[in-house]
Amino acid sequence: MRQVRHHQKSLVAMLFTMLVMASCSSVDCPLNNTVSANFQLEGNVTKLTDVLTISTLLHNGNDSILLNQLQSAQKFSLPMSYGQDEDVLFFQTGTIKDTVWIAKENHPHFVSVDCGVNFFHTVTGIRYTRNALDSIVINQKEITYDALPTHFYVYFKEYRY
Amino acid sequence: MHFQRISMFILRSIAISLMLLTILPSPAQTSKKEAAEKLRLKQLDDSIPLFRGFSVKADVVGLIQKAVSDYGQYEAGLKLNLKDKYFPVIELGLGQTNHQDITTNTSYKTSAPYGKIGVDFNILKNKHDIYRFYVGFRYAFTSFKFDLDHPDVKDPVWGGTAPFSGQNISANYHWGELVAGIDAKIVGPLHLGWSARYKRRIAHNDGTMGNVWYVPGFGKQGGTRLGGTFDVIIDI
Repeated sequence: MRQVRHHQKSLVAMLFTMLVMASCSSVDCPLNNTVSANFQLEGNVTKLTDVLTISTLLHNGNDSILLNQLQSAQKFSLPMSYGQDEDVLFFQTGTIKDTVWIAKENHPHFVSVDCGVNFFHTVTGIRYTRNALDSIVINQKEITYDALPTHFYVYFKEYRY
Repeated sequence: MHFQRISMFILRSIAISLMLLTILPSPAQTSKKEAAEKLRLKQLDDSIPLFRGFSVKADVVGLIQKAVSDYGQYEAGLKLNLKDKYFPVIELGLGQTNHQDITTNTSYKTSAPYGKIGVDFNILKNKHDIYRFYVGFRYAFTSFKFDLDHPDVKDPVWGGTAPFSGQNISANYHWGELVAGIDAKIVGPLHLGWSARYKRRIAHNDGTMGNVWYVPGFGKQGGTRLGGTFDVIIDI
């Protein structure tokens, strides 16, 4: 009888310990929660001599500057819109202006109920005018929290004046 | 006088040594006893049939979890007893959550069954005791759908909003569990027992939203890998 009572006490103690263990949890929200497209200059022009300004067409039809007068541009990062199927970017180098259209799929990305939300993107295509730009190549089509990959290689014309 | 004292000392020493020899069993005697006990248990093992019956069990921890929080599970199982040594077991459960985070305005809802299959091994020396000490493993699987609700997200650069909700998102999870536990006969066919479990994910499909938060039977993502059950067991 005494042994059974002792055993019951130890069972209750173990149950309590397990409940305490089971209640332990941590919040694993990502430290880097920005999603940006990374561009890098390639080809004959790997560093711009002109200042580079990039603006975009907003949801309401107005323009907004994303990158203001970047000097000696070699690489840069730009945000992507959450919900648009195509982002329109205006690249201005000196007095020359090019328009770039980036087509993409937008994926809502959920981490945990404790964390903020964000959108990942899959680039499906790119079009551009060829005034100062020679070409743009998609290197990595998945744009996520990973800040390391270069998503686009940008080739500027060497003689653009 | 001095000679007499020495004689007394020697006699006492011999007497104490003889007493100790009778009290403390020699290593030879111990191994003989152990061998006899081993033989008795072996004959007992040989004399009992392979199938010793089965028991049904229900977990209380999941019920308490469900009562005091917004997630938990109902779990019951069937355990076969083979020679009081091997216990193949099937556990079936229903995991549920309906959680709303007021800080992030995110709601997560799911309700789905899960199943576990595995074996426990009774590692006590005397396997036919009313107490059992198990170690074992489980393979577990669940296929479930979840609803994720969040207000439309405002784009901080472009303006406008983008929807961020999903209904009936399909996902699945495979995981393994290492189990250690005890059970004890309380009265008649009633046993009580507990088990501690260490869970490891084997394979998973998180669905279209990137991640899942609560997995029926497995628990919350980012939660501890340790879990446990407190079982009410009835021998049949």
